[in-house]
Amino acid sequence: MSEANFLEQVRQNQGIIYKLVGLYASDAEEKKDLYQEVLLQAWKSWPAFRQEAKFSTWLYRICLNTIFTQKRKPQRVDYKDSLESIAPAVQNKVAQQEDVVRLRQAIRQLPETDRAIISMNLDGYENAEIAEMFGISNNHVAVKLHRIKQQLGNLLTA
Amino acid sequence: MSIEKTWGEINDPQDNDLSSLLQSSTLPKLSSHNPLVKIKKNLLNNMVAAVLICMLYIFVIFYFQIWQVQIAIGLVLIFSLWALYTAYQQYKKLNTTVSSHSSVLDELKRHYQSITNWMNTQQKVALYIYPVSAAGGFMLGGVLGSGKPVAAFMQKPFVLIVLLIAIIILVPVCWYMAKWMFNYSFGKHLKALKKNIDALEEEK
Repeated sequence: MSEANFLEQVRQNQGIIYKLVGLYASDAEEKKDLYQEVLLQAWKSWPAFRQEAKFSTWLYRICLNTIFTQKRKPQRVDYKDSLESIAPAVQNKVAQQEDVVRLRQAIRQLPETDRAIISMNLDGYENAEIAEMFGISNNHVAVKLHRIKQQLGNLLTA
Repeated sequence: MSIEKTWGEINDPQDNDLSSLLQSSTLPKLSSHNPLVKIKKNLLNNMVAAVLICMLYIFVIFYFQIWQVQIAIGLVLIFSLWALYTAYQQYKKLNTTVSSHSSVLDELKRHYQSITNWMNTQQKVALYIYPVSAAGGFMLGGVLGSGKPVAAFMQKPFVLIVLLIAIIILVPVCWYMAKWMFNYSFGKHLKALKKNIDALEEEK
């Protein structure tokens, strides 16, 4: 349960923080603030982390609870820094980069809770896990996902 | 474009801002900007200020042997002690660490409730304490300024009317000021929290 162990686990799962913060930060400054806040909250909760739970799910929850309860600036969909920073992650494949940018931009246009729900779905979480994470029913998740995917499809084809 | 495939392509990010934070030396330097941390700091400041003000009230009660002033300040002292106790209870209960077990909906509700509780306390303080305090200060200032005993000073109908007008104006002004300050600091944040709570509860 050392600091080094904690940081190593976060390093292995930093994609969760990166992707979620990227969906909510309004500018580069807010992105850094959210990174710091998530890391600090995770560090403060680390002693209570039960090893039987998956670290990635635990970090996901901390990330979402931190982002949603943090005072944030009004959203800007076309925040450039966040979109450009994706580029190195897709190893210079221009078409893929464009798709990633379009997808991120489309998700950022969704209502705040919908962004997190679709993100969990795309990361492979089951409806029951999403429902438990948000404190809503399975049925509500299924209805929401159906609607979100339709909306996302419209945004991507527009 | 496959949404799932495209999403999967951003699984290995290279963000220097994030990587630089994942160094062992940075963790102890991080400080929280969570709204509840600010409220907790405010509550602590309020409590320190309330203790100092209560000490000042006690000094005024014993130093100025004018019973009307003593009653007004005594009342303010009782309200201040009550406000101090309420603030202490809130301070003790306020958990500023984001929950790693609660659902997003529960955490949103907890934050919303904590912030509105604080707002209610601030408004009660504005409503009960400031006007009585102003009345006590008015009488004390009048007595010291005129050099007359409080009974003689308060005998003039004009002074009584001024005192009443001051209280009638101060009560709503203090209440609205407290409300305005609260909205300025937390209004947008509360609206955002409520919007997300409503979005998650819309099925119910």
